[in-house]
Amino acid sequence: MSTPGRNATLSDLAEVDRLVHEPARLAIIALLYVVESADFLFLMNQAGLTWGNLSAHMSKLEEAGYIEVVKSFKGKRPNTMLRLTQVGRSAFQAYRQKMKRVLDGLPE
Amino acid sequence: MSTQLDLKELERKAFRSTYQDGLWDLYFGLIVICMSIFIYRPATGYSPVNMVLLSSAMAAAYFLFWAGKKFITLPRMGQVQFGAQRKKRRLMLIIVLSVVVLIQVGFVLFQVFAWLTPNVGESLNSILLERHLMNLVVAAIGALFVGPSMMLIAYFIDFPRGYYIAVMMMMAVFFMIYLNQPVYPIIIGALIALPGLVLFVRFLQKYPLPRGESPHEHAG
Repeated sequence: MSTPGRNATLSDLAEVDRLVHEPARLAIIALLYVVESADFLFLMNQAGLTWGNLSAHMSKLEEAGYIEVVKSFKGKRPNTMLRLTQVGRSAFQAYRQKMKRVLDGLPE
Repeated sequence: MSTQLDLKELERKAFRSTYQDGLWDLYFGLIVICMSIFIYRPATGYSPVNMVLLSSAMAAAYFLFWAGKKFITLPRMGQVQFGAQRKKRRLMLIIVLSVVVLIQVGFVLFQVFAWLTPNVGESLNSILLERHLMNLVVAAIGALFVGPSMMLIAYFIDFPRGYYIAVMMMMAVFFMIYLNQPVYPIIIGALIALPGLVLFVRFLQKYPLPRGESPHEHAG
């Protein structure tokens, strides 16, 4: 038998941002949340993802406007850094709050 | 553990991963070795030539550190910029170290002034020379100049191995002055550099140069 509290929890779970919820993307977003910016290689090493895998996830996050690519030059070499946008940051915060509510609402 | 704590841990882990290459340990080890070799010159004492040689050797050590970071670490590990909190800590380190250096300079000036004051100088000399304490006191002061500063650096740059380096540096300076022999601080410098060398080799094995696509060719 479901209680009103349990219903609210389940509806929260249904509304969780699936773009953030996927484990590899969650790792990428969490990393970019705690640093100012990082390049592709650093994220690959830290998240333990392959090049192709990370690239695919990055494209999805970029399409959603969650990350932005900042291109510059260091001397003559191009320097590409990735950072979380304000939209991405808010999406991650909302995701954390929802997941916390969901998990806190579960019985021991 | 709360979610907030996990994020802090994630940030700390990412930050400390930048020390995996062991270059800081190698750099500090080289500094101690350079100091041991070039400061200890019984024939010429603290001559300008020794100081120039020491400065050149330390500049060469820094160049090796910089080149290692730029040409070995970054192409393997990638680049990252940390948040405002880290920048704040770096600024705090500069401020605190400046204060420490000012205190140390003040202390040295006070000592010089005391020694130049006839009565005080004579009594200090008689106490220290008669009891053969001069070397011990100077060695202890030298060690205290170096150790706490290095500990502050380790704390503010969040570099746990820095505390070990600080203790080793204190011992190196103490033995360099007290025993007046370069061999002990050179061994201590090697003991600082050795873990760095092991870490550096491990780093090269763990992070090979990425092949094919350049990290800078991605996306956009």
